[in-house]
Amino acid sequence: MPQVRIIAKNFMDMVASLPAMKLDKLYENAFICEAILRSLPPLAKKYVLQLLYIDVPVAASSLQEWVLADGASKHRVAVDRLIQLRVFTEFVDRKKETTYLLNPMFQRNLQEHIVHGGVLPREPMAANITVRLPSLEELDIYAAQQWECFLLHLISSAEAEVTTKSISPSMMKVFQRGLLSQIDKEGPRLTESGFQFLLMDTNAQLWYIIREYISNSEDRGVDSADLISFLLELSFHVTGEAYNVNTLSDIQRTTVKDLADLGLIKLQQGRKDSWFIPTKLATNLSISLSDATSRKQGYVVVETNFRLYAYSTSKLHCEILKLFARIEYQLPNLIVGSITKENLYKAFSNGITSDQAISFLQQNAHPRVAERVPSVPENVTDQIRLWESDLNRVEMTPAHFFDDFPSREVFEAACDFAREYSSLLWEDPKKMRLIVKTEIYGHMKDFLSHQK
Amino acid sequence: MTPVSSKQYADDVSLLMVLIDTNPLFWSSSAAPLSFSKFLSQVLSFLNSILLLNQLNQVMVIATGLNSCDYIYDSSKGPTSQRVESLLQKLEEFVVKDEELNKDDSVDGIGSSLLSGSLSMALCSIQRIFRSGSLHPQPRILCMHGSQDGPGQYVAIMNSIFSAQRSMVPIDSCVIGSQHSAFLQQASYITGGVYLKPQHLDGLFQYLTTVFATDLHSRSFLQLPKPVGVDFRASCFCHKNTIDMGYICSVCLSIFCKHHKKCSTCGSAFGQPQTVSTSNQKRKAP
Repeated sequence: MPQVRIIAKNFMDMVASLPAMKLDKLYENAFICEAILRSLPPLAKKYVLQLLYIDVPVAASSLQEWVLADGASKHRVAVDRLIQLRVFTEFVDRKKETTYLLNPMFQRNLQEHIVHGGVLPREPMAANITVRLPSLEELDIYAAQQWECFLLHLISSAEAEVTTKSISPSMMKVFQRGLLSQIDKEGPRLTESGFQFLLMDTNAQLWYIIREYISNSEDRGVDSADLISFLLELSFHVTGEAYNVNTLSDIQRTTVKDLADLGLIKLQQGRKDSWFIPTKLATNLSISLSDATSRKQGYVVVETNFRLYAYSTSKLHCEILKLFARIEYQLPNLIVGSITKENLYKAFSNGITSDQAISFLQQNAHPRVAERVPSVPENVTDQIRLWESDLNRVEMTPAHFFDDFPSREVFEAACDFAREYSSLLWEDPKKMRLIVKTEIYGHMKDFLSHQK
Repeated sequence: MTPVSSKQYADDVSLLMVLIDTNPLFWSSSAAPLSFSKFLSQVLSFLNSILLLNQLNQVMVIATGLNSCDYIYDSSKGPTSQRVESLLQKLEEFVVKDEELNKDDSVDGIGSSLLSGSLSMALCSIQRIFRSGSLHPQPRILCMHGSQDGPGQYVAIMNSIFSAQRSMVPIDSCVIGSQHSAFLQQASYITGGVYLKPQHLDGLFQYLTTVFATDLHSRSFLQLPKPVGVDFRASCFCHKNTIDMGYICSVCLSIFCKHHKKCSTCGSAFGQPQTVSTSNQKRKAP
């Protein structure tokens, strides 16, 4: 299986990678235009806004005039991004002058938005029909629980209680692909990327899952562009408001069920209608929030004696901590463990780096210790780094070994030749043997054959 | 008082306080280059575009009237769908109230808007946002001002400017009137904002989006209008005249246009001025 390093690629990268036809079709939806605009780098946003009411191609030079010298790289990034997303179309005329034209569809939608203000994708249901709507806090808790349950299900199907009802086993397989690997009959094991996945924050994890979900959509007979537009549209709904399920198409209804399992939305059933309530996970979908707005409260306290106390009732947290600590006691609301060399060696061999482990401990530090600097004691972080460097004491270099030189002259010349390329790793003048790096093996052979 | 930078959102999330001049004397005068309704529609589009740029962007609008000022819009409250309606309704209520206040009072000569009041209101609400919640957007103030400077507000406005400078809030100024505004020139100069007097007010929206929609993060690498010359003249504390030369209290730095026996601000007694033959006027500090 190819080793794919998990990068929390965001939604828009995926949109950008869509074929041109589909992309143009996506821009027919005003919400997509809005979401795309919001995802752009600040400078690119400015360019779009500036050109919003200009229908003729604009010379690249006149855009660049706005930028100071040290912003040139930012300018290039912005323009590349705009072209990549087909928001800008690039023309080069006969005088070799580059001009840009804003995508007319995109332009029209945004103009409309600016004149009429934002509109909601669909009207929320009246409060008298929807009884007992959850409060925002309840909704957040629900979303977190549902997501955790899903993760637990993902990493060890046996551990999870049967709360995730409808995610089909085949769907689960899709998500697990790349995260778990089945070796012989020993039951699934987390792969390197699986471990890294668990240490990412919720938003990054969500990206990964949603990405898999979208890229797999064609197999389920759902057009990926439709799915993307629905997901983006979903992010413009208001958190905590109820929306009638009847306003959705059939495909969207099945999607909504899947998303409910992930905790993106909550489904409720009334006497006559049923409705869905988007949670914060769904409304944050289109903005890639990497900063602390989404950060949950931490729960881990690490002491200088390598003891680790995690105030958590969650099984998932326990599973994650098990990755690099020995769990000693498990009390109703507290997990006590210790960070040991053996556990960390195991983690390192699973592909977790010391920085990942440390940043996990720091990010999830209990509020009481989070105020302290550093939140994880320095001796612990240093030791974790030292343990990692212990494993890297030997450096491997592919090399070739030469011996049986016909004469000392040839041997000396060969040594000098290798030195010139700074590829001589070892020499033994007495027995006339030497070792060189693999890169110059070819040159070395040529050189020696000329010597003869 | 100083804003805590770690509490700010990483990138280009902005909080924009827009101060709109609703002075009826200005908008009805011949100095107004475009009708108020045209002006308003361009500004509303601009507000929409700011809110469009980032989900977390926040806009507050304060109306600056002749005798009062008030918040007329806050994007963090209320639904997104009826933005314009609620703003216009509040604006109308405000204008009526402002007019009522006017009846008790006779209009002074120039009829300038209460800029000092709205600036302080803007700074107060920025402080409130600084102190509430864990994360706050980067604030800036945009003054859309048309009527003439009221020299009577000099001290209050200067104090607001310095407090904005202290809390690192830039004041952008977009002057709609026919004359430059010395107050706003100084405000933008001191706080590091942009001062612009658009040439063609029909294209106000384009000016607003190209210059004033730029977030603080991007400003560091963009070429924005530079101040061409700032009118640094001060107003005297006694008659509120704008003066080039004057007397200045050596204790509290109050400025006077004529010689007084003692300082009206801090009460220090002044000596006799020197004879007219020598230079009897000290230059005021720039």
